[in-house]
Amino acid sequence: MIQLKNISKIYGKDGQQVKALDNANISIAKGEFVAIVGASGSGKSTMMNILGMLDRPTSGEYYLENKEISTLTDDELAKIRNKKIGFVFQKFHLLPKTTAIENVELPLIYSDRKDIRKLAVDALAKVGLSNRGKHRTNELSGGQQQRVAIARALVNEPEVILGDEPTGNLDSKSGLEVVGVFQELNRSGKTIILITHSGEVAEHANRIIRIHDGKITEDYKVEKPLDARTELAELKKAIN
Amino acid sequence: MNKIKIIESSFRILRRNKLNTFFMILGIVIGIAALSLTFSLGKSAEKQLTRKVKNLFNPNNILVTSGRVELESGRSSESSMTNLEIEDIEAIMNEVRGITMYDVIQATPERDVIFSNKNIPTAINGGMAEGEMVWRRSVISGEYFSKAEEKSSARVALIGTKIAKKLFEGSNPVGSQIRIGTVPFTVKGVLEERGIDPHGTDLDMNVIVPITTLMNRLMNVNYIAGAKFELEDASMTEEIAGKITSVLRERHSLNNNETNDFSIVTPVVVKEIIGKMNRVFTLFLPLISGIALLVGGVVIVVIMLMSVSRRVSEIGLRKALGARSQEIMFQFLIEAAVVSLFGGIIGLAIGLVGAGVFMSSMGLTFFIPWETILFGVLFPIIIGVLAGIIPARKAAKQDPIEALS
Repeated sequence: MIQLKNISKIYGKDGQQVKALDNANISIAKGEFVAIVGASGSGKSTMMNILGMLDRPTSGEYYLENKEISTLTDDELAKIRNKKIGFVFQKFHLLPKTTAIENVELPLIYSDRKDIRKLAVDALAKVGLSNRGKHRTNELSGGQQQRVAIARALVNEPEVILGDEPTGNLDSKSGLEVVGVFQELNRSGKTIILITHSGEVAEHANRIIRIHDGKITEDYKVEKPLDARTELAELKKAIN
Repeated sequence: MNKIKIIESSFRILRRNKLNTFFMILGIVIGIAALSLTFSLGKSAEKQLTRKVKNLFNPNNILVTSGRVELESGRSSESSMTNLEIEDIEAIMNEVRGITMYDVIQATPERDVIFSNKNIPTAINGGMAEGEMVWRRSVISGEYFSKAEEKSSARVALIGTKIAKKLFEGSNPVGSQIRIGTVPFTVKGVLEERGIDPHGTDLDMNVIVPITTLMNRLMNVNYIAGAKFELEDASMTEEIAGKITSVLRERHSLNNNETNDFSIVTPVVVKEIIGKMNRVFTLFLPLISGIALLVGGVVIVVIMLMSVSRRVSEIGLRKALGARSQEIMFQFLIEAAVVSLFGGIIGLAIGLVGAGVFMSSMGLTFFIPWETILFGVLFPIIIGVLAGIIPARKAAKQDPIEALS
């Protein structure tokens, strides 16, 4: 599905160069749930931007479904992002004073899909917010806002969902709920890539890739991933 | 891309930023209001002027005046030449074919017109009995003076409605004795209302007496100021003007190297004069208003540039979610176009209401030129799109990473 070959990203001019990524090689198959873990400054944000095609590597090759994409134009990349990748950001990035349903529609505006409203309604239902469609985003809780953002990421039926610290701005219960949504999406066949600094969140994935100083230091399968559903159920029990 | 959805979201954003939207609209409103106001006023004045000139001067008319007339922006400053005589005009009538009728023109400077204890100073015009047809101005009461009265230098006068009102205050002036200076006259009739002519003369203050009476009894001169000819066929004017010129040059014994001591005004000349005046109305004034519109455009550029800087994160998000540069540009251009179209419509309404008020207070007939509506809608869209280009390009170039971080 996704193949990064010898990807490097160098910032700054001659003399004061910073290698944000150093010869990174990653291969992600369809249907995987991968967590990319690293401390801040490790290069994981750069990895996220390159995986999401928001940025180009300084050197190396990026194959998406066996197609080299680092040579494409900005507009061509925009179309691929629109079709193939759903983004979920740490700060949600919802349009202010705009209803949930209108936010979910946003990627469809730039696609050639018809019946935009119906698709947006379906996507909101998938994240359990059917009754919140007409609410403005500032009237929703943090967890709800992030679920609207997930619905937005889902709405154009992308192959890959890319989460950039999606739980970073949430309390632990809302965070678990969001992770639960990701796990459910993965079970239904979506490829999930989660960028996080939290080892605990990463334990919900099937595979963990660790980045340190721009280099991949670890890449291993998780034998028994945590299940957000059971954790939530236990949390409820503990409260009652 | 889904254009309707993008347009919808443009409207939403404009509603959300009411203050910005207000100022952008205001600039265009002022520009378009000024433009449509001046343009429709100009057009209305032009129409009025053309109609009035047509009343005085038909396409089949030729005017001959003594002396060289300097035609400067519609005003004639005549050199006081005294060599055009009634005999000259009669010679023209004998020698040139194609003229159906004519009237001669002469006038005094202001004289006192007196009835009982009331006294109005006004210029006295002289004319022939044919003047009724030549000038297409008859009487509303009494009758026009006759050919016999004209030949016998009868002391009869025709007076304008304003003179009648001021001197007689409602009672019927026909048959009453008035004095012009010291000479007693009988009021023969009251002239039809005509209003103010393009030179600013109030034609309802006219007093008309037979030409011979004017020359012999009031002025004691043997020359006239001019004559107006009416032709059978309007297409013959240039040819007949040429023939009149040669008759007059011969009678005035002018050598080939001497210039004319008279002037001939044909419809072509009149058209030129009207054209010159119209340019002031419909070109110069709207040009000034156009500058106001331009300022409105600059306001849009500035406010939209600010708006782009404030909306960096929104633009970045849209790009991340798949918006191409052209789609971002489209959104901002639509915003600019919507704002200015809206401003244009409001400005147009204000301008036209203003024009209506001005027109009625200036005594012009209310009239909205179709161009005003077109300009009021088209100009703002053009200005809006042009003003939107710079901010829209800035937005389209936005790097999604910088915008999202």
